[in-house]
Amino acid sequence: RALQPPGPRPDLFRLMDCDRSFRLDAQQLQRRFRSLQRAVHPDRFGQRPPKEQYYSEQHSSLINKAYRTLLNPLSRGLYLLELNGVEPAQETDCDADSAFLTEIMEINEKLAEPKNQDSLEEIETLIKVKQEELTKEVTAAFERDDLQEAKKLLAKMKYFANLEDKLKNKKIPS
Amino acid sequence: GDAVLCQVVDHYENPRNVGSLDRNAKNVGTGLVGAPACGDVMKLQVEVDENGKIVDARFKTFGCGSAIASSSLATEWVKGKTVDEALKIKNTDIAKELCLPPVKLHCSMLAEDAIKAALADYKLKQDPKKEEPEKKA
Repeated sequence: RALQPPGPRPDLFRLMDCDRSFRLDAQQLQRRFRSLQRAVHPDRFGQRPPKEQYYSEQHSSLINKAYRTLLNPLSRGLYLLELNGVEPAQETDCDADSAFLTEIMEINEKLAEPKNQDSLEEIETLIKVKQEELTKEVTAAFERDDLQEAKKLLAKMKYFANLEDKLKNKKIPS
Repeated sequence: GDAVLCQVVDHYENPRNVGSLDRNAKNVGTGLVGAPACGDVMKLQVEVDENGKIVDARFKTFGCGSAIASSSLATEWVKGKTVDEALKIKNTDIAKELCLPPVKLHCSMLAEDAIKAALADYKLKQDPKKEEPEKKA
């Protein structure tokens, strides 16, 4: 009846009771996350032997990791690629992607200029729209099992994820 | 033997040659590259004189400190070199000069790719226009 450690190399989808698919019910994920954390949270193991307390920390960490990985479309997509034995994109993007890289460069340049709140919001909206578009395309790619296309699209999402982070840092009042 | 000094150049703190050249100028080559794994983008430009020597270079990089340092160093190194000499610059040299840790080696690769892309663009612009083949008498 003592708590055991998490198994080796757990399947994060299985852990969170989700189908191994890019389509995800975020609310179901959240419910599962809460109920799992209720069961294994270290606070519940305060009176148990140290070993079990340690295991509960491991479980709790793992559940956090699974939740974060599956909730975010980019990390979910990359994880799915990994499960399917597809390496994420490593090769330098250049000629073929020139229009896309130019766009990323321009948005980065706009973000780098000191600006007012309005233009920051404009950029934020642009990034959100692009991310939504890409998420739709990634969903479609996974649905028709086109992993190579999914890989390309997820690479594009990475550039926008960076922009999103930069924008968040800009918005934090200094 | 000689001690190998790792020159901790301050390309991180004080990058050189940040900016842009006129991409429409015939003697300017522009390279735009990206690293999909980390989402870094790098633009590197070279200005080449009539003798095929690189006389100026600029870069703009959005990414980690190692990527910025790599492209800064790259612009320093290409200046004064001919196009063919600059094509010989290897990512391993950049990484060594900056003492890049293993996880950042791809940044130096990105800089090497940016140099190559800029020089390829320059060469493309120098291609003479295709003329009608002269009829032999």
